[in-house]
Amino acid sequence: MNDSSFQDIQSVIEDDLFPDVDLALRRGCHIDRDEPDRYAFLSDAQLVLEEFYRRYGCELVHTSDGFFYLLPQTDSMGRRHLSAGEMLVGQTLALLYLDPATVQAGGVTSQDVVASRLAGLINQQELIRALNPRRRRYDERTAQRTVRDEILKAIRGLSGLGFVDLLDEGQLRLRSSVLRFADAVRGLADPGEAMAKLVAEGKAVVVDGSEDDEDYDGDDESAEEAP
Amino acid sequence: MNDNFLRVIASLHRDGVNLDLKTVDICFLVALHARADQSGLTCFEEDVLLDVFEQVCDAVEADADNVAKRATHAIQRLRDQRLLARVDGAGVVRAGEYALTQLALGIIRFFQADEALTRESLTLLTKTLLASLAEAKANAKQATSPEQWREGVIGPLRVTVGDLVGGIERRQRGLDLQQEQVQKRIGELLQEDWFGAIDQCQSLLDETASTLAELNTVLLSDTNQIQAILSDIEQLAAMADMSDAEQTVHRVGEQVDRVAAWGGARQRAWSDFYQYVHRFLRDVVRLDPDRAISERLRNRLADWPSQPFALVIARTPSIRLLRESTDRVERPPVWQPSRDREQQIEDVIPESDLVTLEDRVRQSLAEDPERLADVLEEVLPHVAAVHRYVSVGRVTWQVAKEARPQSPRERDWKPILNDIEIEDWQLRNGRPHRSSGQPEGQA
Repeated sequence: MNDSSFQDIQSVIEDDLFPDVDLALRRGCHIDRDEPDRYAFLSDAQLVLEEFYRRYGCELVHTSDGFFYLLPQTDSMGRRHLSAGEMLVGQTLALLYLDPATVQAGGVTSQDVVASRLAGLINQQELIRALNPRRRRYDERTAQRTVRDEILKAIRGLSGLGFVDLLDEGQLRLRSSVLRFADAVRGLADPGEAMAKLVAEGKAVVVDGSEDDEDYDGDDESAEEAP
Repeated sequence: MNDNFLRVIASLHRDGVNLDLKTVDICFLVALHARADQSGLTCFEEDVLLDVFEQVCDAVEADADNVAKRATHAIQRLRDQRLLARVDGAGVVRAGEYALTQLALGIIRFFQADEALTRESLTLLTKTLLASLAEAKANAKQATSPEQWREGVIGPLRVTVGDLVGGIERRQRGLDLQQEQVQKRIGELLQEDWFGAIDQCQSLLDETASTLAELNTVLLSDTNQIQAILSDIEQLAAMADMSDAEQTVHRVGEQVDRVAAWGGARQRAWSDFYQYVHRFLRDVVRLDPDRAISERLRNRLADWPSQPFALVIARTPSIRLLRESTDRVERPPVWQPSRDREQQIEDVIPESDLVTLEDRVRQSLAEDPERLADVLEEVLPHVAAVHRYVSVGRVTWQVAKEARPQSPRERDWKPILNDIEIEDWQLRNGRPHRSSGQPEGQA
């Protein structure tokens, strides 16, 4: 017995929240319990919307961590993969989310903590190469500045996708959706198998480290041009 | 720093004043103060001191030996540090009587004020505040003179109510501190024992939840009642034309507003924290009892540069609006041949000056000058210096035309006005000569 207040797609579309939620999902946003109205709407209309987005070749994913996002599975809708900076910063944020020190602060951390945690986990040369992929030669000072800029850019990008909230004075509030970056290490399976499963489900792609283009594949170009 | 302070500091340093209190000493002081309050004592006999110390030891150090000896040392320590003073003056004649000094009372009051918030104390404060306000309202209704207003309403509002609201604000600071400690403790518990800390964290969260509920019922609902009574008193004061009372009520109302605003803000913040930690315990800690995900994620992140992958997300491109096509008309640029538009400036003597010059020459010739130089010396001073050279030619031309110059073969050079020199002519007479011949002199 479906106790949802939405019985058909018409009633969902007529809801005041639909345009806002639909646009956010299509832009790649992740919607979690920190947005109670939008999350409640999606939970309520989940069955209808899953069917609706399936016709666009997309899956409306609802995770056990309590957030929704739209996963394109065909080329009907545009898609992209996250940049190197976004991936490195995103995984660092997930690590911070799991840290008891962040729990003590109610899920709030700072940009400086993110940068310092990332620098502590990845060798500086590798970090510079990952975030300056097109440069073979570089001045160390300039490269370090570029890394800092890339980290800030990635944080802003991830904020637009609903992974963090930007607060005043360089503070960030981590949202449960950052746990999507931990998908690759969940379960007891071999890490390689877990990654292969993610790729098979279309949730992730294996990229070349020097790749700077964020487009997933050439077919996306045609999808982007559709009005 | 004035001389008084310097003297006090010097005296403290000279006497080597210091305070060294153990926890049991402070407990002893607080217990003595409580006993004095209970029994209405102004001073304590030695037996009472020993009895109170024994009770303190029972409460804080149940297995302590030689309580009587420890009490003697404790009393001596307090006397040495001027916290306890002997007040009977009987010396060795009989057992002494002791009283708490101002220093001891100050220490006791500080620790009482800093006591952590309890439900009873906050409830007591707000209920006492309501009772005081109700009494002030009753007095306001019966007051018929300014004296009665001052004694029954303004005084109590300023002193009693002000103190109570101040007490509530102190309790708020205690509550803030308590919440801070809860958050810190939850972090420490998870750090020490990830999965095993769930129950303890849960009980700490329950503590926060009960504090939140208390805050909601005590502060927010009582605040409304307090504001209602204050509003009634303000109305009565307005009717009695007591502006002092109105202002006092207004000030108390502002304090109560601050209390309510604090309650609302803290309730939101602690409620967010409560939900966040609850979700964290349920979604993260329970599902990952060994903290394996953190460890694997740390390794995965360290390996990412050599094994990069990226998450896929939707990206709807923005709509492209094409511009309408239009025929372009090539317009030739505006062009004009260049030319030199600057004109050479030529110095000329104004026409009026020429006429004047001619008239002056004629006047000079009318006086029968003997030489051309005489005419020039007469005329040139009236001509501007820059035009003199040209004017010499004009004058010579006119003289040649209107007089009868004679010129020997060898003519003398004669300076005129120091800056011009001419070959001079002799004039037969200065009268104008209409039928002029060839000029015989030149400048």
